[in-house]
Amino acid sequence: MILVIGGESQGKKEYAANTFGLAAEEFADGASCTEEELLGASAVDHFHEYIRRVLKNEGEEGVLGLAEKLTGQNPDILVVSNELGYGVVPVDKFERLYREKTGRICCALAAFAKRVDRVVCGIGMVIKNE
Amino acid sequence: MFYVVTGGSGSGKSAYAENLVLSLGEGRRIYIATMMSFDEESTKRIARHRKMREGKQFETVECYTGLDSVRLKKDDIVLLECMSNLAANEMYAQGGAGEKTEEAVMAGIRRLLQDVRHLVVVTNEIFSDGMAYDESTVEYMGHLGNINQQMARLADGVTEVVYGIPVCMKGGKKNEASA
Repeated sequence: MILVIGGESQGKKEYAANTFGLAAEEFADGASCTEEELLGASAVDHFHEYIRRVLKNEGEEGVLGLAEKLTGQNPDILVVSNELGYGVVPVDKFERLYREKTGRICCALAAFAKRVDRVVCGIGMVIKNE
Repeated sequence: MFYVVTGGSGSGKSAYAENLVLSLGEGRRIYIATMMSFDEESTKRIARHRKMREGKQFETVECYTGLDSVRLKKDDIVLLECMSNLAANEMYAQGGAGEKTEEAVMAGIRRLLQDVRHLVVVTNEIFSDGMAYDESTVEYMGHLGNINQQMARLADGVTEVVYGIPVCMKGGKKNEASA
């Protein structure tokens, strides 16, 4: 697994495609894909949007075991996700839950991933490379 | 030695800081807890952190304001978590330092640095999500940002934790991984 993270609009997908030799069409879109598509894709963009959708539709239970499912059933996927949690604690309860869950899930993916790149201004910094 | 550990919410910075403390050798380990329990969510959060510390032999000292009144021993290894709570308590809680938040917190930090063997402080990156906040929150961010800068100047090591991965900002290797 490869994890590419960074803030919004930092050029993460383009960086990931160029760095790891993927075409844009090879990325599933976390904002719209099904679980089956996610588990079968070679790459996924907007992974944080996937977490958000599942939380909205199914609540906290929906994302229980998501990291384990992904690492178990699609261990070679390239995951592109926004890095959340760099602001003041949100007033809205759902927003707090969303950023907390995204953080914990991405921590689990980062621990499993062989490589983690963090993108700022389109420039990637390799923060883990095993 | 003085270490500052920072990171976003849910970044794994607490787990990293606890392991850092364990790596600093044997001695009395003190956990300075700064989070007040005021609702179910904070109670749950405190319980989660307590569970993480289980088996790591920490003695807990509660300090919500007035860090410079905490008295510890010279061989103690201290973990303070989290500066974002301590600064908020000083600013907003009754009996807090209010406008003098930065001075009060830094007096406490300097006192601990004189008194104990190792100090690890966990703080929080709350400065980069581009949302507009009310005046009081902006003031709070200013205080915490200044405290973080002052601590980083004094620190032997500063590490940002990114989803469990340490990214070294000061002291040690600058780039922990290479392409």
